[in-house]
Amino acid sequence: MPPAIHPIDLVDILRQHRLTPAIIFLTSRRGCDEAIDTFIHSTAGVSASRSEEIRTFLEKFSKEFPSIANHPLIPVVQDYGVAAHHAGHLPSWKIAIEELMRQGLLDAVFATTTLAAGVDFPARTVVVSQSSVRKSQDFADLTVSEIQQLAGRGGRRGKDFVGFVVVTPSPYIDLHVLGKGLTGQPEPIDSQFVVSFPMVLNLLKAHALDQIEGLLAKSFAQFQLNQRAAIHQDRLGELQEQLKPYGPRECADWVAQWKVFDLARRRKAHRRPVVNTDSPYLTACLPFLTAGRLIGLAKGPAIILRQYRSRGTGTPMLSVLHAKGTLGECQAQRVVEIYDQVHEFQPIRNLPWCPPRTLHQFKNILSQLPVRPPTLPILEASQEPDDPLLSNILTEEFACPTCPSHEACKKDVAVASRLQLKAQQATKTIQALRDGLWHQFQRKADVLHKFGYLTATLQLTDTGEWGRLIRINHSLLITELIRMEAFSGIAPELLAGVMASIAHDDDRPSSYMRLTPGLATMLAQVRQVADSLRAYEPTPLLRSDVAAIAERWIGQTELSWASLVRSTSMAEGDVYRLLARTLEFLSQIYGLKATHPGLADTAHQAMVNMRREVLAELP
Amino acid sequence: MNDADLQRELVSLPIKYLHKFAKGRIHRHFRLSKRRLIDSILALPSEQKMAIAHEVEQISTSPKKSPATSGNPKSSSPFYPKRSSPKKLSKSAPPSSAIGLQDLLEGIGVPEPKPFIPDDWQKEAVEAIAHSDVIVSAPTGSGKTFVATEAIQQAMARNQTVIYTSPLKALSNTKYMEFSQFFGKDQVGILTGDRRDNSQAPLLIMTTEILRNILYDATSGDLDLRLHTLGLVILDESQYLADPERGVVWEETLILCPTQTRLLLLSASIGNPQELAEWLTAIRPTTSCHLIRHTKRSVPLRALYLHPSGQLVPLLENRDIQQQKGYRFHPETKRLFNEYEFKPYR
Ligand SMILES: Nc1ncnc2c1ncn2[C@@H]1O[C@H](COP(=O)(O)OP(=O)(O)O)[C@@H](O)[C@H]1O
Repeated sequence: MPPAIHPIDLVDILRQHRLTPAIIFLTSRRGCDEAIDTFIHSTAGVSASRSEEIRTFLEKFSKEFPSIANHPLIPVVQDYGVAAHHAGHLPSWKIAIEELMRQGLLDAVFATTTLAAGVDFPARTVVVSQSSVRKSQDFADLTVSEIQQLAGRGGRRGKDFVGFVVVTPSPYIDLHVLGKGLTGQPEPIDSQFVVSFPMVLNLLKAHALDQIEGLLAKSFAQFQLNQRAAIHQDRLGELQEQLKPYGPRECADWVAQWKVFDLARRRKAHRRPVVNTDSPYLTACLPFLTAGRLIGLAKGPAIILRQYRSRGTGTPMLSVLHAKGTLGECQAQRVVEIYDQVHEFQPIRNLPWCPPRTLHQFKNILSQLPVRPPTLPILEASQEPDDPLLSNILTEEFACPTCPSHEACKKDVAVASRLQLKAQQATKTIQALRDGLWHQFQRKADVLHKFGYLTATLQLTDTGEWGRLIRINHSLLITELIRMEAFSGIAPELLAGVMASIAHDDDRPSSYMRLTPGLATMLAQVRQVADSLRAYEPTPLLRSDVAAIAERWIGQTELSWASLVRSTSMAEGDVYRLLARTLEFLSQIYGLKATHPGLADTAHQAMVNMRREVLAELP
Repeated sequence: MNDADLQRELVSLPIKYLHKFAKGRIHRHFRLSKRRLIDSILALPSEQKMAIAHEVEQISTSPKKSPATSGNPKSSSPFYPKRSSPKKLSKSAPPSSAIGLQDLLEGIGVPEPKPFIPDDWQKEAVEAIAHSDVIVSAPTGSGKTFVATEAIQQAMARNQTVIYTSPLKALSNTKYMEFSQFFGKDQVGILTGDRRDNSQAPLLIMTTEILRNILYDATSGDLDLRLHTLGLVILDESQYLADPERGVVWEETLILCPTQTRLLLLSASIGNPQELAEWLTAIRPTTSCHLIRHTKRSVPLRALYLHPSGQLVPLLENRDIQQQKGYRFHPETKRLFNEYEFKPYR
C-alpha cells in the first residue's frame, strides 16, 4: 500500500525542511515506479545546474556501463532529482543511482525494502510508510533488526550532523511496530543449518566419518542446540528429584507393572484387541504430543489440550486450541511441527479440557508467539520395543490385587507416571537435541548410498567423486540428469535453458514465450526426473518461460538485450538475475571438465555466449 | 458479500468500526492494528463474517457514512490518488509540553571536513585482530570498513593473502571498486563462478558461497589457490548467518576455515553477538574471539511524523532516538495518527 500522502507533496515537504537527500521506502516495485511517474510534467524540478551535473555524471558513467545509456528513467532523474531503485532494475542502473546519491545529486530515491539488506546507500533522511512486508505469501511485521537496517541509513557520517526517520502513514500501518523497532533491541540470530547432499559428499571426501561428527558438532546449530539441551538436562534433574519418593516397592518398576495390570483389567472388560498401526515416526512423536505442548498445524500454531485415541480406528488424536482461539480436534499425524515449549496446566475431564483461566492464558500465549519458536527434533527409534512386558504379561496373573503396596500404588500411580512421562520426554529431547544433526547427516548419506554416490561404507564412488562438485540447489536432480546422459550431445542453448528453469526459483509471473520443440521435450524429461526425486529434494519450479528466455539469449548471439527484454514482461532486473544465476549453474557444470569433457565444453560455450552486452559489464 | 468484498469494505472503514465488529468476537481486538483486525475478522467462522458483512452494509447505506467509504476506493487511480490542490503547510505545531518541531529540526547541516580520527571501538578492533578473531557488531554507517581496511593492511604487510566476502554479488562489485581505489588495482582481485580477475592479488573479493567452495576443494586437496598464506578472512554482513536459505554457508565457511587464519566478522546490530563470539571461541581452540559491540549511532537519529495533510511533527517525545529505553509517541503524533486511522485519507 502506498503512503497516503502524494509523492510530490512528500518530496516537497522534505525539501522545504532541508531533509533531503532522502530514501523513501515503499512496499512494491510498482509503487516506486509510479511515484516517479507522478513527477513527469510537474513543477517539482531541480535547478538547471544540478540537472547538468546529473547529466554529466550519467554520460560519463554510461561510457563504462553502456547498458544505461538509453535508460527510460534518465529524463526524470535529470529534471527532478528523484529516482527509483529496486530489484526490477539492472545492477548497472542501481550502481549509477547509488553513486548519484553518494555525490548528493539526488533529492529522493524511492526504493523497496530489499534495498536495506545490503546496499551501501546512506542519506540524510529515511521515510518509512509501512510496518510490514510481504514474506512468502503472507504479510509479516517488520522485525526490530529490519527496521533498524532501514532507519540506520538515515544520517551520513561526515556529511550530516543529524539524521532523520520520517514516518508517514499508509493503510494498515501500525505505529507501535515502528516505535518498538526504532528503540528496541534487535532480535538474536539463530542458526539455520541444514545438511545438504553436496555437504555430505564434500565432507566425506576429505574427512573420516568420526571426524565428521566432530565437524557437525562445531556448527553454531549444535552450539545452540546444546544450550537448549542443558536447560532440559536441568529439568530432568529436577524431575528425578521429584521421582525419588516413588522408587522401587514390592516390584522394581511398579509404575509399569501397575499400568499393565490396569490395562489387562480393562482389556478383559472390553475384549478388544488393539493393533498398533502408527508409523514409526508417529510413534516417536507421540510421547511429545502431550497436554500443554505448543505445536504447528498446517493452518498455524496450536496448543494441545489432550491426547486420546479415536474410538473406532484407534488413531491417535489431539484436542487443541488454535491460534485464533477456537477449539478443535485433529489427528496426531497432522502435526507438522513440534515446538520446544510446554505450558503446564491442570487438565479437566471434559470440554474444554482445561479451566477457563488456562484457556484465556493460552490464547494470550498464542497471540504473542515469536515468528519462529525453536522446534524439537524427533529421533525415530530403530525399533522401539514398546513395553515388551505388554504382550507377554497380559495373559498372566497379577500379584497386584493382593500385594501389600496395592493401596499405595493405586494412590501414587497417577503422579508417578506423569513424572515418569515427563522425565522420559526430557531424556528423549536431550538425546534428539544432541544427535539431531548427526541423524540428519546419516539420513542424507543413506539416500546418497541408495543412488550410488556412496558405497555401503560411505566412501565416495566414482559418481560421488564428480557429483560433489555440483554445489548448488537441486544438486541431486542435476547430477542424476547428467548420469542418465540426458545432456549428451545437447546444444549450449538447450543446456542453458534447462539450467535456467532449474535455477529460477521466483514465481513472479512473466509472459509466455514460445518454446522450441527441442527444449519442450527436454523440459518434459527433466520434470519427470524431478518428480521421481520429489521424496529426496524439493522440486524446482521448472518454468518453461524462463527456460525460453535463456535459450534465446544463448542461442541467438546477434540478439540485443533490448529486444530480449522487449519479448518478455519480466522486469529487466529479473531477466538479468535469471541469466546471472544460470551462469552460476553452468559454471558448476563446467567444473566437471575432468570427467565430462564434452558436457563441460558445451557449458563453457553457453557461458561464453552468455557474457555479452550487459552480462559482460560486471564480473 | 464474499471475502474480497468484505475486505475492501473493511479497509475503507475507519478503525473504530472495525473495533465495534471485533468486540466479543476477537480476543484483545483493541491491541490489534487495522491490518491485523481485518485479517482476524476474515478468519472468523463464516456465520460471524456474514453478520459483520450485514452490519457493514448498514453502515455504508446509512446517511452518516464517511466520504472515504463511497464507491470502490481503488477504482479510479491504480496507486496514487489525484493530487489535491497543493496543500498548505502548517508551519507551527500547537504548543505542548513535549518537544517541538523546531528543536527537532535544529542542527541540520553538513559538518566541516575533519581529520580522520578513529573511534575507540575501531582502534580496539584493529588492535584485537592482530592476535585474535574479531566480531564487530555495529549499526549501519558507523565505520566498519575502516576496521576492515586496517586489518587488510596489517595482513598485507605480513605478506599474507586476505579474502573478503559479501553476501551479494552487487556488494562484492561495490567493494571491489572501493578497494581497488584504496589499495590500487593490482592489489585486488575478484572471483565469481566463472571469472577470476586478478586472482593472484593479495586481496580477493568473492561471495561467501565461492569461499565455501574453495575451502571444500582445499580440504580435498584439489585447489590452485594459496590457502597456506591465507592470513585473514573478512565476512561482511555476517548477520546473514541467520538467513533461512543461505545461512548454512556461513557456518560451513567458519567451520572449515584454516586454524591459522584470523577471522573478522562484520555485522549489523544483532541481539546476541556474545553468543556468536562464545561459539567461535569454542570451535577454534587456538584463538579466542574478541567481541566489539558498538551500539551508539555516530550520527544522532531523530524521528518525525508526517501527516498526509502535510503537517510535520515529532514522532516521539524525546529528541534523539534512544536505543533500549522504550518509546512514547509525541502527543501531536498520537492526535494526528488517531485522526488518520479514524478517517483515512484517500
Ligand atoms: N572515526 C571516524 N571518523 C569520521 N568518519 C568516519 C570514521 N569512521 C568511519 N567514518 C566514515 O563513516 C562512513 C560510514 O562508514 P562505513 O565503514 O561505510 O560504515 P559501515 O560499514 O559500518 O556501514 C564512511 O564515510 C567513513 O568514512
